[in-house]
Amino acid sequence: MSRTQALSSFIESAPPGELHDVTKAIKNILGEDSVQSELEPAFQKHNEEQFSLVKLPGSNENVIVSPYNSLGDGRYYDTENQSSFAYDHASLAATASDVRSHVVESNHEDLVKSLLKTLRSHGTEHYPKYHIGVYPTNDDSQIALVTVASKYSPANYWNGRWRSSYLYTPASSTLTGTIAVDVHYYEDGNVRLLTNKAVTSTINGSSAGDVVKAIAQAERAYQENLNKAFGGLAEGAFKSLRRQLPITRQKIEWEKISGYRLGQDIGGGRR
Amino acid sequence: MAEPIDSALDLLRRLNPKDVKQNVDNIIELNPSLEEELLESVDIPLSVKKCSSTKRDFLCCDYNRDGDSWRSPWSNNFEPPIDEGITPSERIRKMEIKANEAFDVYRELYFEGGISSVYLWDMDDGFAGCVLLKKSVKGGSWDSIHVFDAQDRARTAHYKLTSTVILSLGTESEALGGLDLSGNMVRQIEQDMAVEDDGSHVANIGKMVEDMELKMRNLLQEVYFGKAKDVVGDLRTIPPLSQTNRDRQTQREMISSMSR
Repeated sequence: MSRTQALSSFIESAPPGELHDVTKAIKNILGEDSVQSELEPAFQKHNEEQFSLVKLPGSNENVIVSPYNSLGDGRYYDTENQSSFAYDHASLAATASDVRSHVVESNHEDLVKSLLKTLRSHGTEHYPKYHIGVYPTNDDSQIALVTVASKYSPANYWNGRWRSSYLYTPASSTLTGTIAVDVHYYEDGNVRLLTNKAVTSTINGSSAGDVVKAIAQAERAYQENLNKAFGGLAEGAFKSLRRQLPITRQKIEWEKISGYRLGQDIGGGRR
Repeated sequence: MAEPIDSALDLLRRLNPKDVKQNVDNIIELNPSLEEELLESVDIPLSVKKCSSTKRDFLCCDYNRDGDSWRSPWSNNFEPPIDEGITPSERIRKMEIKANEAFDVYRELYFEGGISSVYLWDMDDGFAGCVLLKKSVKGGSWDSIHVFDAQDRARTAHYKLTSTVILSLGTESEALGGLDLSGNMVRQIEQDMAVEDDGSHVANIGKMVEDMELKMRNLLQEVYFGKAKDVVGDLRTIPPLSQTNRDRQTQREMISSMSR
């Protein structure tokens, strides 16, 4: 693996909210400060995949950076603010620059507006802290709907992120997308939850409400299944890996340990 | 500025624990001076070898390694064989045999399968060692790495134990998609215990490891199935937040009307 590949794999694997820490560690391992520009493509990939937030200058508003609102050459657009902006990935700064007016031309202009509103209401009902984006695709045949909800608690050694992104095709009334959850817990250890669920749905109707209803149903079903999966793993694989106590429900009498073998009473066969 | 080794350990605490071996290799490639310290202080999932004289599986780590060979706890021979590989003194090897027998029983009682290996080595003021346990099932694997040293004192010994458990769980289905829940947790403890003879050492280490694994199993259960699930619930809530807020408001009003 080349040096850049190795470094890029570190950036790609950075947990939610820990990109700065990962970059700082890399610099210190290498003893080089100049590595940031070398890593620009990796930062860009990370930011777009993770739906990173950047602040528009002169406002307190955070907007999403994603593959769906990229204009190329480090510029992105925001539908709601009708503006485009530059973002320097290598700077690792949280602020955009060079804001210009940007009106999205789309045959689905009205639908995009109502989707923004409806997806926002859904977000407000289910995500304590979230950001959304709705963007028509380049050929205007689909509309991308993006939600990102992150919560960082580094003082308690955990960070988490929920991401969902969908492509709605008005012509066929279909919705496809992915829900992904990333949780990092790192007090006296390093534990990571990474999930990925593909969503496919046919929409009954063509209004923004119909589309967001399908999203709401998919996300609710997913969260319920995810909660069940925790229970399933705890009762299944975890229990079968190691018992809490031996079948006798008593701790071992270590002074008599040689007798256990003679008694052949410990169950299970030799491999 | 932090030492490069501290930054390397910090980085490994953040990156996906599932890729720890690849990440360690990459860091060493980027800064070869960190190799020795990293291999000593980072625990990676244990690999398995077969002892050619006893046909039994044993576990490999840095502590039973000599070059590219690993010593079998069952035969005391290196696989693949080497000339003059480092083996423990006669007294310590005797204790090692007893400890392997004891932890083989422990393994069967708690893991009902899997592989165990204990390695001991001589120290100036006592001895040190490691107890390794590994089990894999469909959908998961457990690796325990307990490293300890024992300092002999009059009628007692002072034990220092550092334990790491690497637990990987994963599941995949149509309804759920892919889920991976993997990681490691580390705990340390120091303890003085009474010693009559070398047999006491095996029993003392056994008790310490048993207590530690019980504690760590509870901790892993809490973090993997409690904390991780709670964080998901912090990110997204199934009941609508407006409903939750209304319920809270109603509750507050009830409480205040009752106290009036």
